[in-house]
Amino acid sequence: MNRPAQGSFTRLEEIAGGAHVVTDGAEIASREVCGVRPAVIVRPADAAQIAEIVRFADAEKLAVIPMGSGTKLGIGLPPSRYDIALDLSRMNRVLAYDPHDLTLGVEPGVQIEDLLRTLAEQKQFLPLAVPFSDRATIGGIVASNSSSPLRHAYGAVRDFCLGMEFVAGEGSQAKSGGRVVKNVTGYDLHKLLIGSLGTLAVITRVNFRTFPKPPAQGMFVASFSTPETAFGFCRAIAHSVLAPQMVEVAGPGAGRLIFSTEASARITPMQWAVVISAAGQPSVVDRYARELGHLAGAANAAEFLPIHETEQSTIFARIREFPRLVLEAAPDAAIFRIGVLPAAIPSLLNGLSEVAKRNGTDLATLTRASGIVYAAFFAQAGSEAASPVNASVVKEIFRICTLPENSAHAMLEWCPSEMKRVGVDLWGPWRDEFVLMRRVKDAFDPHKVLAPGRFAGGI
Amino acid sequence: MRPQLIRELETLLGPKAVLSAPEDLMLYEYDGSVELGSPRCVVFPASAQDVAGIVRLANRLETPIVGRGAGTGLSGGAIARSGGIVVVFSRMNRILQVDAANLRAVVQPGVVNLDLSRAVDHLGLYFAPDPSSQKSCTIGGNVSENSGGPHTLAYGVTSNHVTGLELVLPDGEIVRIGGKSIETSGYDLCGLLVGSEGTLALVTEITVRLMRKPEAVKTLLAVYDTLDDTTESVVEITVRAITPAACEMLDGFTLRAVEDYVHAGFPKDCAAVLLIEVEGLKEAVEAQAAEITEVCREHRAREVRVARNDQERNLLWRGRKEAFGAMGRISPMYYVQDGVIPRTRLPETLRRIEEISRKYDLQIGNIFHAGDGNLHPLILFDERDREQFARVVAAGGEIMRHCVEVGGALTGEHGIGMEKNELMPLIFTPEDLALMERVRAAFNPAGRLNPGKVLPMGKACGEIRVPPMPASATIPT
Repeated sequence: MNRPAQGSFTRLEEIAGGAHVVTDGAEIASREVCGVRPAVIVRPADAAQIAEIVRFADAEKLAVIPMGSGTKLGIGLPPSRYDIALDLSRMNRVLAYDPHDLTLGVEPGVQIEDLLRTLAEQKQFLPLAVPFSDRATIGGIVASNSSSPLRHAYGAVRDFCLGMEFVAGEGSQAKSGGRVVKNVTGYDLHKLLIGSLGTLAVITRVNFRTFPKPPAQGMFVASFSTPETAFGFCRAIAHSVLAPQMVEVAGPGAGRLIFSTEASARITPMQWAVVISAAGQPSVVDRYARELGHLAGAANAAEFLPIHETEQSTIFARIREFPRLVLEAAPDAAIFRIGVLPAAIPSLLNGLSEVAKRNGTDLATLTRASGIVYAAFFAQAGSEAASPVNASVVKEIFRICTLPENSAHAMLEWCPSEMKRVGVDLWGPWRDEFVLMRRVKDAFDPHKVLAPGRFAGGI
Repeated sequence: MRPQLIRELETLLGPKAVLSAPEDLMLYEYDGSVELGSPRCVVFPASAQDVAGIVRLANRLETPIVGRGAGTGLSGGAIARSGGIVVVFSRMNRILQVDAANLRAVVQPGVVNLDLSRAVDHLGLYFAPDPSSQKSCTIGGNVSENSGGPHTLAYGVTSNHVTGLELVLPDGEIVRIGGKSIETSGYDLCGLLVGSEGTLALVTEITVRLMRKPEAVKTLLAVYDTLDDTTESVVEITVRAITPAACEMLDGFTLRAVEDYVHAGFPKDCAAVLLIEVEGLKEAVEAQAAEITEVCREHRAREVRVARNDQERNLLWRGRKEAFGAMGRISPMYYVQDGVIPRTRLPETLRRIEEISRKYDLQIGNIFHAGDGNLHPLILFDERDREQFARVVAAGGEIMRHCVEVGGALTGEHGIGMEKNELMPLIFTPEDLALMERVRAAFNPAGRLNPGKVLPMGKACGEIRVPPMPASATIPT
């Protein structure tokens, strides 16, 4: 590895100021990515400084990984090289917020909780209810395409992000999209940055459309003894005129995590729990309460309950934080994030549960009914295994996902670094489109300065 | 002896699938814009393999290729600017699969937008993007241009409704990107491809989301005596966070032309109307309609009418969707623009357009998607008057500059094409454009696919293109 001596970072000090260049051991350790440590941490103040840092790295053949609070650095492969941790925490300003236009422009280091508070003052919000919400930054949320239960009604980042500014691999400052809610001017390059794990560019500004807070809200839970009946209920909702804000299905293992607080104790024990939230005028929420109750009854629910106002935020937060709750309970868990067609969800879950049984691991699933499954495999209590799944089990899981009847797209979002080092492929079997992704990478970052080796297809 | 290109294309596709006679080619020289360009030949592939064969042949003979759907585009995207082969997708017009359980359809690019909604109507479903040309425009064209329509205010543009594509790359390779599920891992290539205006690949299959038809719809017509009251109403609706499914504005001039043509019952003596639609559960629709009526009345709407039945509703929408056609009755030609502004800047922008109209002594009609700030000023002209046409282009450029100055964009749904590519530097820096250029080269290295579109060619930086004298007096609808 072409690792420069500590003394050679004077250029970085010139760019960002001495106080914002750190080589102290303990801090360096905190910026480790999948077991790989950087040589230096730099905290730039703005896009111009980032451009200079990236140009410096390009010239010196150093590798840069951009980061916010670092909550999702565990996602992706270990970097093939990693010299500079580009800490964006100083770039935490709201650059433009026009509540009357329902548009917003922010720096990447803005923390989602702070932003949601600012928006709430104007009775608005962003539908980004994402894991690590107490620390997660906009840059990290966008770069890892964090999943939110609210996507059921509002779509994902790609659907409400209006444009971005960023610094590409050779230090060029570029942008795409804009700040207006409808725009087809030029290529939508910013869409490529969503979920790119910092491999294409360093995001320096993100523009969003914001959403008005609905006047009233309700949350409901229905419990079922089998996944077939639970998803039958989801299907009935999807085929009705109802358009809830979220429809989440917690399998038995997940239910233990989500409903384990004192407040929600009365909801346990449950086998398969479907949690629904609805919003709108009070008359609309009343109607959801009535009709969801009917649909749940027709779908053979064991129970259908409105969730009391005092419990709603706790349960919502636990659904939002699901991957984090799993990792806190089982740091060695392997968590797959799987995009799947709604009709194929029960068959996919059955397949996954058989794999878990055969391999003696526990499985917890949380499913967004619109077609995203979080499947967490973790070691059974008392098990001696170092890791809940090995490479061949991972392969088996990808195989089940790609079966024609499931036609699902999986990514192994979280797993222990040791598994990654033995060559487990987090993105599953080879797809032809990886070739195009490599070409896109070459266009943005021809010298592989940004997060090299972290992404799909060897990018 | 027929030229080698034509002979080889005929061998590949059969003689009936290749047009090369000048009188046939004339039909493919134009689209819905004021641009022109003559292809060497026009071909009609029946499959992705046909398309791949055409592309490989074009490479060997170093000939440009331009994809084309119904030719309704409004920025010259489907025009063979540098000659070459125009690939028309009208034979690839099958709906391959309707998957109602998963709210998806798989279609070939030549499927007409409205035909898809009609085909799934009995299932209570529809395809959300609804450009005014939806009776004739194709979904392949919608994908290229990332088309919108009135209801994109609530449901988003084409890119929000596409999950997967099959592409033929400029080297003839066939690749699938994305998929049928709501998300796939890796870079969002579909997000890049939709709206790339045929400059990165030819699309041969599209997987789209279908939506469930709402339980209730209410269509309101608010009638105003001043433009300012109309635009202030739109601002207030946005400010109050009311979210209609569509919010369209027609000014009095346009309205009179439309009314004479469609007889939808629009009042001919007003300054402007808003056509607003709310959709959803009936409780929500009632509440929103009441709130909108209140806003309009507070802003001195002289009348707020609610369509009483589907027939009245359809008539109002027919008036909106056929407005461009109605213009043909009062002017030989028009030039439609597509700028976007932040919604709160509507009042000043409409006043600015009035000033520009006076300054250049031109008639400008306004009919547009007010709810998302997407303007469509229609500048009327007579193509035989060259001097007038120069004023039209200058006025268009001035409107566009205003949009950029207030923080807007050059195009909301029509695309950049060959009409606005030299205006790109108004929005984008050389560094922005260089990166876009590199992304284009990553897919289309020889620049053989739809050359001269989207990105500036650097000949007249910052200037709107002065098109050749439009040859035809036909008004595209």
